[in-house]
Amino acid sequence: MTLTSPQESSVPRRRWPSPVVWIAVAVLLAVHVLAWQATEFSPAALIAGWDGMADFLAESLPPDFSVLGKSLEAAVITLYIGLLGTTFSIPFALALALLASRATTSAAWAQQAARAVLSFLRSVPDVVFALIFVTAVGLGPFAGVLALVFHNTGVMGKLWAEAMDESDRGPRDALKVTGASGPQIALHAVLPTVMPSLAGLLLYRLDVNVRSSLVLGLVGAGGIGFLINQSIKLFRFDEMVTHILVVLLLVVVVDQASGFVRKRLGA
Amino acid sequence: MLAIRGLRKSFGGRVVLDGFDLSVEPGEFVALLGPNGSGKSTVLRCVVGLETPDGGSIEVGGNAAMVFQKIHLVGRRNALDNVCSGALGRLPSHRSLFFSADVREEAMRCLDRVGLADRALDRCARLSGGQQQRVAIARALCQRADVILADEPVSALDPQAAVQVMELLKALAGEGIAVVAVLHQPELAQTYAHRIVEMRAGVAA
Repeated sequence: MTLTSPQESSVPRRRWPSPVVWIAVAVLLAVHVLAWQATEFSPAALIAGWDGMADFLAESLPPDFSVLGKSLEAAVITLYIGLLGTTFSIPFALALALLASRATTSAAWAQQAARAVLSFLRSVPDVVFALIFVTAVGLGPFAGVLALVFHNTGVMGKLWAEAMDESDRGPRDALKVTGASGPQIALHAVLPTVMPSLAGLLLYRLDVNVRSSLVLGLVGAGGIGFLINQSIKLFRFDEMVTHILVVLLLVVVVDQASGFVRKRLGA
Repeated sequence: MLAIRGLRKSFGGRVVLDGFDLSVEPGEFVALLGPNGSGKSTVLRCVVGLETPDGGSIEVGGNAAMVFQKIHLVGRRNALDNVCSGALGRLPSHRSLFFSADVREEAMRCLDRVGLADRALDRCARLSGGQQQRVAIARALCQRADVILADEPVSALDPQAAVQVMELLKALAGEGIAVVAVLHQPELAQTYAHRIVEMRAGVAA
């Protein structure tokens, strides 16, 4: 093998980033400076207030394990809120995902409408939904379930629609040739293909929703989040630590379980 | 059974079909040969409606089914379900959630015809390439095809499986189905087809 001489193929010149890249970097830096100021970011304040945090920790240790029974009961409620919030959003998420995906819906207006609904549901945080539903059904876990159903429909519907978009076009074309209708193609080509991905995303959302339902407890939707809020208000930090340890346990268990099943699904 | 006259199609200004003619009788096996880009696959895709021709006419006397190089079965479903889906075009929506007993029986006969009745409940992804292509042909049979259009049906298969699929297509032609296959191997075309049509630059050469 002989090397080609530079006359035949000259070495390409090194290309420096264009001015646009430099401007983008400068703008990004400027935004970070503004953000630093606006958030009053100050490591000095953290060091100066160190003793406050130390007092807090001193008061919270050792944990008060007398509330462990109550804490575990509430943790189960939190788990139930996350579970129902996920399960009850399945039919709505599926219907909207089927409408929003270009693999299953050809009418552009239907796709756009479904995507608009999903993006609205996604952009309203579940905590805001919870505050709204608390005014309707009162404080308690039910408001939390409703909040999760609404928000999760938006997130899971979008994730599912994307999974459908990415499915192989071939089997869809093959069924189109047989004269199958849009819904028939969705049922017999798209859904069987993407089912493992949908199940994987569902478990991932269950995982996230159980953690969200903790935060919903803080705004009055019951469960262990509610107990944490209560013990902070009563300055019972030793009880709070017990609750937090239980939360840790709950999150790890759900995370491991959903990870295990997802691995088995190969999704 | 199949009459194509003056078919024209261009993609973004590039002319792919420039007045292509072809007619195929029932029971006839026609092989389409030609270099890449000569428009062979586009002819088939126009016939089954996956592409819309710019001009010309296509007459099909019955059902046209298609067999693909990449097979395009749903790999996670079993062979029987994949074959049943060939019947979807004639099933009303309310009967297509689960395939009824009569559809499953017909699909079993189609699988039996391609010699794979014993693999009916195997997931397609677990079958060999040649077996998968025969399942795809069974799906075409379950569509009650009068015309089978095969787009490089054996290009992805090993020689032995390719021969099996070609023999099957020839036997189906012998039963009265019109078969048009795009092929890349002239020797297979000479062995199995009744007639060879060479394509060059969008017309029959």
